[in-house]
This record gives sequence, C-alpha cells and structure tokens, in this order.
Amino acid sequence: MFKKTLRALPIALAVSATAGLSMAEAPEDVLDKLIKKTNSPYLTQSPQNIMIMPDNPAWLVADEGAILFRTPRGPKNASLEKCDFGKGPGVLEGAHVELPRYFADTGKVMDLDSRLVHCMKTLQGFTDNDPAIKKKHGSDSDIMKLQTYIASKSGGMSWNPPMNHPMEKAMRNAGEVMFYRRSGTMDFSCSTCHTQDGKRIRASVLPNINRPDEWTKAISWPAYRTSHDHVRSSQHRVLECLWQMRYPDIRNGSDASIALISFWTDAARGAPAILPDLKR
Amino acid sequence: MYKKTSTAAAVAATTCLFLIVGGCSATSTGKPEADKPEAAKAAPKAKAVDYAAMSPKALAEYLIFESGSYELDQPTQEGTNGRARLTQDDIQKTCSLMKGENLSDKTREKVSALAAASIKYPEDGIKLGDWKKGRELAWSGFGYRTAHNPDDHAKRATGGNCYNCHQLATDRTGGNIGPSLTGYGKIRGNSPATLKYTYEVIYNPHTYFACTNMPRMGATGVLSQQQIADIMAYLLDPASPVNK
Ligand code: HEC
Ligand code: HEC
Repeated sequence: MFKKTLRALPIALAVSATAGLSMAEAPEDVLDKLIKKTNSPYLTQSPQNIMIMPDNPAWLVADEGAILFRTPRGPKNASLEKCDFGKGPGVLEGAHVELPRYFADTGKVMDLDSRLVHCMKTLQGFTDNDPAIKKKHGSDSDIMKLQTYIASKSGGMSWNPPMNHPMEKAMRNAGEVMFYRRSGTMDFSCSTCHTQDGKRIRASVLPNINRPDEWTKAISWPAYRTSHDHVRSSQHRVLECLWQMRYPDIRNGSDASIALISFWTDAARGAPAILPDLKR
Repeated sequence: MYKKTSTAAAVAATTCLFLIVGGCSATSTGKPEADKPEAAKAAPKAKAVDYAAMSPKALAEYLIFESGSYELDQPTQEGTNGRARLTQDDIQKTCSLMKGENLSDKTREKVSALAAASIKYPEDGIKLGDWKKGRELAWSGFGYRTAHNPDDHAKRATGGNCYNCHQLATDRTGGNIGPSLTGYGKIRGNSPATLKYTYEVIYNPHTYFACTNMPRMGATGVLSQQQIADIMAYLLDPASPVNK
C-alpha cells in the first residue's frame, strides 16, 4: 500500500510537468471492471496476483523511466521529450494504445519498442552497441524502464491501433496469417493455444484472441512477471511463445514481430488497456 | 519471388534492415539466381518490395523467410536449422486454417490418408512397455526447444508433452486442449484394436482427427517406438495410475 502513495507523487509531478492532467486509469480498476463484465477464467486465474496489483513493482520501474525520459542523455545530450510516438512530439497520453502504427519518417510500421529505439538513436545519438539500446530485457534496462513509463500513460484507454495507412493493414493482415500458420516440430501455430475459451496448458489458463475483454490483458505489456521478478515487454512475450513452439528466435523489432503484434493489438480493439499489468 | 532460399536472400534481408523506404528491399529481376553473375548475387540491386501490394500470405512468407526477422540459421537438435523449422510440410500447410475456414470433406480425407501413410509399425507387433517410464515421458515437455535457450538432449531425455494438453492420472495437473484421458485403459480395455488405435493416434493423430491440434510425435521422430510403447502402457496398463 505504501508503495502506491510513494509512486503517486513522482508520477503526478511528471504529468503536471509535461502533459497536464493524467487520463490514465489505475490498472487494478480496469481489471476489476473487466472481471465484473466477463466471466473469464483467464482474468481471474490468480487471486494472489490481483491482490498485489496496487503494489505492482512495475510502478517503480515506470518512475525510473519517467526520470530517464526527461534527462538529457547520449552523445547528443538530449532528452526524449521531443520523441513522436504517433500523436505528436512528446505526447505520451494514449500513445501506446495506438501502436503499432505507420511512421512516415521511417517508412515503417513500428511498435513501442522499435519507436523508442528510433528516438534514442535519432534524438539522443545512441547506437546499437550502446548498453542503453543493446540491453532489451529486464527491469534494470533503460528500454524497459522507458517503455513501462510510456505505456503507463495509456492505462484504461481503449486499444485503437490505426488502420488507415496501407502498410498498417498489410502488416496486420500478414500477422493474422502468421498467427494461424503451423510449423515446427510440434505443428504449433499461435492459434493452437489462443483461439478457444477456457483452455489450459497444464494449469495456465490461455487467453482467447477472439475475446477482446480477455485478450486485452494478454497484450497489456509491459507487465511485471512474478515468476521472473522482472518487467517484460510484448517483444519478450513473442520470444517466449516461439520458444515453446520450437521456432527459432525472432529479432527484436523485426517486421515479422511487429506484424504479429499489429494483429494481436487489433484483436483487442475497443477493450481497455491494463497498464502496467502484472502477470504470472 | 518471396520463396527464394539462396544466400542472396539472406544478404537482401540484411540489406533491408538499413533501408527505410516503404518497407524494405530485395533482389528481384525475375531471372533465376543461377543465371546471374557472381557479383550480382553478392551485391543485389535494390528494388523496393512494396508490402502493401502483396497478399497477406505472400507478405507473411516474405516476413518469415526474407525480411531478416528470424534467426534462420539457428541450429536445431535434429541437425537442421531455424529455416527448416519454419518451412511447412503438406499437413502443416493444409491445416493452417484461418478463422472461419473449414476443412472440406475432400481435404479431410487427403490429410487422413497422408497421415495413415506416414505410420510405421513395430516389427514385432504393438506391445505395451513400462508404464513408469511412460509416466515420466507423458509429463515431460523437454526437448526440441531452440531459440535463446536450446534444450540439450545429451543432458536430459526428451518428453511427450502429453500433460500439457491432457489430464491423465489425477495426481498431476494436466491441460485441457485435448480431452481428458483419465481412466483411458479402464474404459477401453486393451484389445488389439485399442492398442492399434492408440499407437496410431500417438504416432500421427491426423489419421483419425484431420488437422487436429495434437502433434505427430511418432511421424516427426520426437518419440521412438519404445517411448510410444511406454506411454501406451501408462495409458492402458491396468496397474497404471491413469486407470486407478
Ligand atoms: C503451446 C501453446 C502456445 C502456443 C502455440 C502459443 N502460446 Fe502464447 N501462451 C501460452 C501460454 C501457456 C501462455 C501463458 C498464459 C498464462 O500464463 O496464463 C501464453 C501467453 C501468451 C500471451 C500473454 C498472456 C499472458 O498472460 O502471459 C500472448 C500475448 C501470447 N501468448 C501470444 C502468442 C502468440 C502471438 C503466439 C504465436 C507466435 C503464441 N502465443 C503461441 C501458450 C502458447
Ligand atoms: C498440443 C496439445 C496436445 C498434445 C501435446 C497431446 N495431445 Fe493428445 N489430443 C489432443 C487433442 C486436441 C485431441 C483430440 C483430437 C481432436 O479432436 O482433434 C487429442 C486426442 C488424443 C487421444 C485420442 C482420445 C480419444 O478419445 O480417442 C489420445 C489417445 C491422445 N490424444 C494421447 C496423447 C498422448 C499419449 C500424448 C503425449 C505423447 C498427447 N496426446 C499429446 C491434443 C494434444
């Protein structure tokens, strides 16, 4: 509980310093409403995790991200305050629920991860070999601190990835094909495990992509994973499922990973984001 | 065009990571690679690949094999690579049904026939092995995972993953992607017909359930005939906890 009060202060300060009043809704409240609305066994599978949501360690990671975001860093000694996540330079409110999207300045569809890296390179002058960019995973990485902070500005907002640009549609549609495409030693596709209600792998309840009110929690990343004791990203979740599927690694920020994430985000359209989330 | 598997494709894939126009670039002059001079293969002339102009299927194949997204050269336990793991065989291709797509009767028959043809039977007939070994095999999900954390088959025996999808004995928690197999032998007995059916389902379940979600662990060599016999004993032996 005391953690909640602690984190409220720096966040309030960060918000008032940049974008005015925060619109973000507390993730535990968003989840609570979804649970009342649905009878999803996926959402309710861990009463323990639901209980500790208000003290989610991800908030501390987000706070560190807030400071990093505003601190001039890198060879160009610049902050990230001019980074455009799709809603204009520096606008973070609701940016994450509208990603992935097409960016004219790169000619690519980008997710939060890849857009952040882009800004760290162009605005701050970091390169691929700098630890700030190279370390993609773990609560102690700059990338995860920043992602957690930026995503927290979309809590409670509805997923709404734009589908106006032909590239956005193309990536989403290719991602859909990939989702249903079987291969590998065990003939798995994503759809093997994520298209039915109430299915489990051993004790783990599987989220169904056809139920936006359930699927929104599945795609609400960054999330603190209790079993890892780290905050994890969407890209990390893709890696984990691919490993189970006996597929090779997918590269962080690659077009195939973004196609999958475009499809999975579109599938949650209209449902409120739980950010930051807490998962098993 | 998106099906090229030469090293030139890998070069193109790497190149495209650095190009920022409307997606990325690859070589395509319509000429087969073999006709080109060596220099042209090594330094492909960039021609923009327009993602938006490709069909979803074509783009998916392009993203998987040509865009530099996957570690296609990552080694596998069976001595192949990531590319081979991502390449589909007939059954995988036919069974990649999108939402709302249904299997026609004709395709169902084709898949079942392909599956039946894949089955090799033990020379000395189908027999039950050791249910205790079968219990561990049914539980273990170890094996064939590669990526950033490859399973070392020299250190640990590979398993059958059955508990991932099935409830078997009730002393352990199983999944429910497949039906419960609790009491399987008690219900079915162990007549030659039951033994044959069970062997075939484990070897290649598409024989009976075309385009099922259950893996073909005999046909793919994940399970040996001995391992299948042990797992069958776990399912069918009256002494097995599955039937208690
Ligand atoms: C063999 C089954 C299986 C396959 C195939 C599979 N997943 Fe998963 N997936 C899981 C399991 C198990 C979890 C963890 C669920 C839990 O903890 O309740 C999970 C979790 C997820 C989550 C996050 C939900 C959470 O609570 O952690 C997403 C998103 C996801 N998978 C997407 C995918 C995508 C995309 C693919 C295809 C690239 C895929 N999965 C393939 C089994 C699978
Ligand atoms: C990825 C999930 C999955 C795994 C792993 C799996 N199965 Fe299955 N299994 C299924 C599904 C789904 C069915 C139902 C067939 C259908 O309708 O598609 C099934 C059906 C069966 C049946 C037929 C049941 C009946 O009533 O006739 C048997 C027997 C069986 N599985 C045994 C096994 C064994 C033994 C293993 C481990 C070696 C195993 N399965 C692993 C998903 C799985």
